[in-house]
Amino acid sequence: MKNIIIFSLVFMFSATLYCKIDLVTLPERDKVQLTIYNSADLTFVRETRTLTMKKGANKLQFSWANTLIDPTSLELFPLKDTDKIAVTDLYFPPRITGLGIWNIVSQISGKSPCEINYFTSGISWQAYYLATLSQDEKTMKLEGYVKVTNRSGEDYENAQVRLVVGKIHLLDEIATLARRYPPYGRPFKPVPLPSEASKRPYVESKAMLAGAEDRVIVKQIEKEGLSEYFLYTIEGTETIPDGWTKRLLSFSQDKIPVMNFYKYDESRFGKNVFRFISFKNSKSHILGKEPLPDGLIKVFKIADKDQHLSYIGQDSTKYIPIDQVVDLNLGPVSDVKVEPKLMEVKTFNYQFNAPGRNISGWDESQTWKIKVSNYRNIPAKVEITRKFPHQYWTIENSGEFGDYKQLDKDTVRYTMELPPNATKTFTYKVVLRWGDRQY
Amino acid sequence: MKKFLILVAVAVLMLTNLSIARTKLVALPERAETVIRLDNPLYTLVEEERVLALQKGTNQVDFSWTGVSIDPDSIRIKILSHPDEVNLISVSYPPGENACIWQMYSPSPYEEKIRISYLLKNIDRLITYKAIADKDETKINLQSFLILRNFSGEDFQLAKILLDYGETYEKSVSHEETRQMLLVTKSSVPIEKKFTFDARKLPWDPEKVIGNVGIPVTYEIKNEKKHGLGEFALWSGKVRIFQDDGKGATIFLGEDNLNFTPVDEKCSLYVGDSRDIVVTQRKIKDIKINVRKNDSNAVILYDTDEIIKVEIENFKDMPSTLTLIEEIPGEWDIEETSHAYEKEDANTLKFNITLAPKAKETVTFHYHRRNVR
Repeated sequence: MKNIIIFSLVFMFSATLYCKIDLVTLPERDKVQLTIYNSADLTFVRETRTLTMKKGANKLQFSWANTLIDPTSLELFPLKDTDKIAVTDLYFPPRITGLGIWNIVSQISGKSPCEINYFTSGISWQAYYLATLSQDEKTMKLEGYVKVTNRSGEDYENAQVRLVVGKIHLLDEIATLARRYPPYGRPFKPVPLPSEASKRPYVESKAMLAGAEDRVIVKQIEKEGLSEYFLYTIEGTETIPDGWTKRLLSFSQDKIPVMNFYKYDESRFGKNVFRFISFKNSKSHILGKEPLPDGLIKVFKIADKDQHLSYIGQDSTKYIPIDQVVDLNLGPVSDVKVEPKLMEVKTFNYQFNAPGRNISGWDESQTWKIKVSNYRNIPAKVEITRKFPHQYWTIENSGEFGDYKQLDKDTVRYTMELPPNATKTFTYKVVLRWGDRQY
Repeated sequence: MKKFLILVAVAVLMLTNLSIARTKLVALPERAETVIRLDNPLYTLVEEERVLALQKGTNQVDFSWTGVSIDPDSIRIKILSHPDEVNLISVSYPPGENACIWQMYSPSPYEEKIRISYLLKNIDRLITYKAIADKDETKINLQSFLILRNFSGEDFQLAKILLDYGETYEKSVSHEETRQMLLVTKSSVPIEKKFTFDARKLPWDPEKVIGNVGIPVTYEIKNEKKHGLGEFALWSGKVRIFQDDGKGATIFLGEDNLNFTPVDEKCSLYVGDSRDIVVTQRKIKDIKINVRKNDSNAVILYDTDEIIKVEIENFKDMPSTLTLIEEIPGEWDIEETSHAYEKEDANTLKFNITLAPKAKETVTFHYHRRNVR
């Protein structure tokens, strides 16, 4: 659907305010660039159109009925003869929705390339990943995809597509601004928003899904950082009709070393052991060329010699900057077990307050035995987090407790490596000071 | 639409009862120069000039309006052609009507130009800005726009539209029309880019958060002469911030409201969030010391011994400066800090941490809260 229409109008000065008006040309888009954001429903559209200017005053009418364009973002400027063509103002005539008119004063006549910029909602993109672990689970193949969906009401043909990874700050939703009439609201009270645009029927577009599908060569996505964002520019142009989704391969990398990794933390996961796959978005892990945008990741494993697959689980990844470690949470497992057992409780060092001879403080020692079992035929790294009821404690560790670390005032962590089909046991004795024993 | 009506009647006698004596229709002067002044964000002042055909003697000029809302107490009249000779004798307001009646005395028949000013409702303006930052994010080009929203009920033909600065436009403006006009363009305005982790507002442990914890990024602009601004206060309004992508195009970075900024003051624009700086804050010690008790053995007064550790990772390949804002409630003193801080107010500490590219920095501060009850 072509919903955006541009008329170039000859302006005849008269006392009547809106003389109805000669249609001169209806210029097509020469070029269009879409910059699509994923942290907000926002796409920045840049169009180049060749307008035919008359010497003197010109009017250019831009209408966008049934689209999701934010009229407050509309902008027009000449690309050539910028000193001879002046865009003086933009007005939204009374009682007409989806229409704006620019006043342009030109010192020259003839064809003039101009740029029209605006925001639209309704076009979105997501990253998603397919990960395939090798049979020994030491390496992984990671394929990153981007999926672009156009529900903006407008067909975009042969558009250069740029995707922005980043979290922008917005005051208003573009979809709200697109539905607001008048475009900047009214001076007095807020007006309820009609939402015809969102109810508009789905129309099958006849435009072709040209682009990636009929090409043999997979398109490249060029990546670069700008400000706090990352910009993906898809090679060539794409045609994305209204209602369609396109998926493109962003990158594919095999043989990424991964660490199998299990976490036990009752405050976060209850009594279950959760499985994680960990790798670093860095050169040492043959990645690190770009940050990885947040998205869904589905993890598979090569199950046998015939390369059959088995599905392990999925996770939503956070945005991963270059050189950060990624921990993919694949959910609870039963082939690695952590079993804490309270073996002994003792109280001592009682204190009594003078007047009533009541108990005012004591120490409590708890002895815990932790059994960590790896039932898998590959090695596993296990991280056990223990939390105490308060910060007045001392601890003694014994047995195969691995690497011990105090995380904060009441949390400690044990990290250990387990060989295939192995069990390790360790003990800690924590002395908790209660009441007056804390001071 | 003619919403305003001016009628001039010549009263032969001094009239005792105005409501009876309102003679209709003598002349209906056209509106001449009109000014819509928008320098007050809450009220819009309209000034219009009209030429009255005054007779010798006392004239009655009837100014009435329908379908618009004006503040009758704001109506003023200024005699322009013969200010020393033509006198305004009285102003009366007839009951139940949107009108006022001026009694004017003219010593001879004059074509008298007058200026009527009044506050008109439901017409106002918004200010918006567009900023384009350069690739290094050290400068912006700033454009300011005036958005005139006319829902007053009145059509204006060729009115001068002006604010307290910038371009003046002469435009026709219809009822229910909105018009966007470029006011000012300023190029190469220096900005300062800042990252701020406010421990009072942001989660301390990103590992326990679904999604990323973004570190707010702001641009700071000073409204001063040596920065290419400083000629006038910047009105409050929405700013959309773009950046030059170095390839002849721009990308949109984000938007924020610019708060009213007087000359020589700073304003701060929240552009977006950085996810390439990761801050993890943990309290590693928090115990009661110097505990004092009453006779019933209840704790009545104590101090604390607290240590906070903040790990900052910069995943960017550029150096950055992060402002760390920390709060300590009540009475306190610092035992030791790893980095220098500024005391922002009684309970707020501010650390400015310089981060090398791809570096990790740990900030610790050890403090005591005193006399906690």
